[in-house]
Amino acid sequence: MTEITDDIEAVVEDTNLPKRLKDQVYSTVDERDGVTVEQADQIAKAVENRYLDTRVDPLDPVGTVSAQSIGEPGTQMTMNTFHYAGVAEIDVTQGLPRLIELVDARKTPDTPMMTVFLEDEYADDRERAHEVVWGIEATKILALGDISTNVADMRVQISLNEDTLQERWPRVDSTDEIAGEIAGIIEDSLGVTTVQDGTSVEFGPEEPSYRDLLQLVEELRDITFKGIEEVSRVVIRKEELDSGEEFVLYTEGSAFGDVLSIEGVDASRTTCNNIHEIYRNLGVEAAREAIINETMDTLEEQGLDDVNVRHLMLVSDIMTNEGTIESIGRHGISGSKDSVLARAAFEVTVNHLLDAAIHGEVDDLNGVTENVIVGKPIKLGTGDVDLKMGSFSRQSGQAD
Amino acid sequence: MVDVSQHNLVPEHSVLDEAEVDEVLAEYDIDRTDLPKIKRADPALPDEAEVGNVIEIIRDSRTTDQAVVYRLVVE
Repeated sequence: MTEITDDIEAVVEDTNLPKRLKDQVYSTVDERDGVTVEQADQIAKAVENRYLDTRVDPLDPVGTVSAQSIGEPGTQMTMNTFHYAGVAEIDVTQGLPRLIELVDARKTPDTPMMTVFLEDEYADDRERAHEVVWGIEATKILALGDISTNVADMRVQISLNEDTLQERWPRVDSTDEIAGEIAGIIEDSLGVTTVQDGTSVEFGPEEPSYRDLLQLVEELRDITFKGIEEVSRVVIRKEELDSGEEFVLYTEGSAFGDVLSIEGVDASRTTCNNIHEIYRNLGVEAAREAIINETMDTLEEQGLDDVNVRHLMLVSDIMTNEGTIESIGRHGISGSKDSVLARAAFEVTVNHLLDAAIHGEVDDLNGVTENVIVGKPIKLGTGDVDLKMGSFSRQSGQAD
Repeated sequence: MVDVSQHNLVPEHSVLDEAEVDEVLAEYDIDRTDLPKIKRADPALPDEAEVGNVIEIIRDSRTTDQAVVYRLVVE
């Protein structure tokens, strides 16, 4: 054990290292016995040299390196697995399909889901956590009671289950009141007049018509009586976290904006896997974070966690550079390049060349692809540096 | 209404005054329009931000301690 003295601190702070590396130097020195100030200085200098060595050089093609670094592990990813692989028996798209979905910036993911964290009072009480569940999960009529169609009288009869009502509306005391609420919702959405008697609700089409009757039943099944339309299922799970145990909700289907404003939901930790919903509700910076998190999680899940996060950060930076989420590819980044030749080299060559010809576009040959095509040196690495040979005079040793 | 700035995913956004903007642009030797953009309607934007302002964003970086980035407010 070596104590970190002011002198050691001075030599370490003197280096050009980022905070995280400095901390690591401190802990390493702290673990060893008898490290002198001179040795600490040498360690710090060695670390600094190594750090400066490993930094990206000016004019390094970082994009190309990132593309390869993500692309190669991508070849080892599963082409198709999405069966209860995620947490809490919820289907989530994984592997290559998920990665493609992310970089394509699809409007809605294949399997939208949310991870809903709860506020303190709700997080450690199963009853109260369930209250939030009923506020989120879409409640359809089939979950509440039985529907029967009386063809003779042309009536639809619903007999609601009292226990279920009480369970799903814990804040309302009388089941009659809840049944009244349900009858109200049916009237509003189907445009019929209902007759309520206790927990049974009855209604029928205005004109006796067998087709209308079936139509009404069909529509009745689609009405959401409580919760959020888009969320079809909520799974509640007790999770061990650093701060102790707490209940966390996982949802199938997502409506991020709606969930954030539900009482009991912790609006500072709740997330969803739809980057566009994050963008709409939390802004472009949050979307950037979400893209990095989601891509990294997808890779990690496949055991490809040795991909450096910097590559994913670069991808995410590019995707959010314009203040919105742009996809990589023909409709996004690659399709909005300035150079005609670069665009033509990517996909749908003829269309790009034709359009460019019609609009009389000019290519300034600034990028990489177009210079490769025309056979000029590219402006990267040594290609961007001009070297001139000078001559030295023998006497002064100075360049002319 | 939910306070967006409280969310873990949202870093701190603040409007940069003009003198600081000039300093930043001089340091990187770029024009204002070379900066990454942020939409005027972005929910994380401070209320007083207007189109043309430069926003300073302080992120908790994965690779260093904190990273300071700038975005230009656009329509």
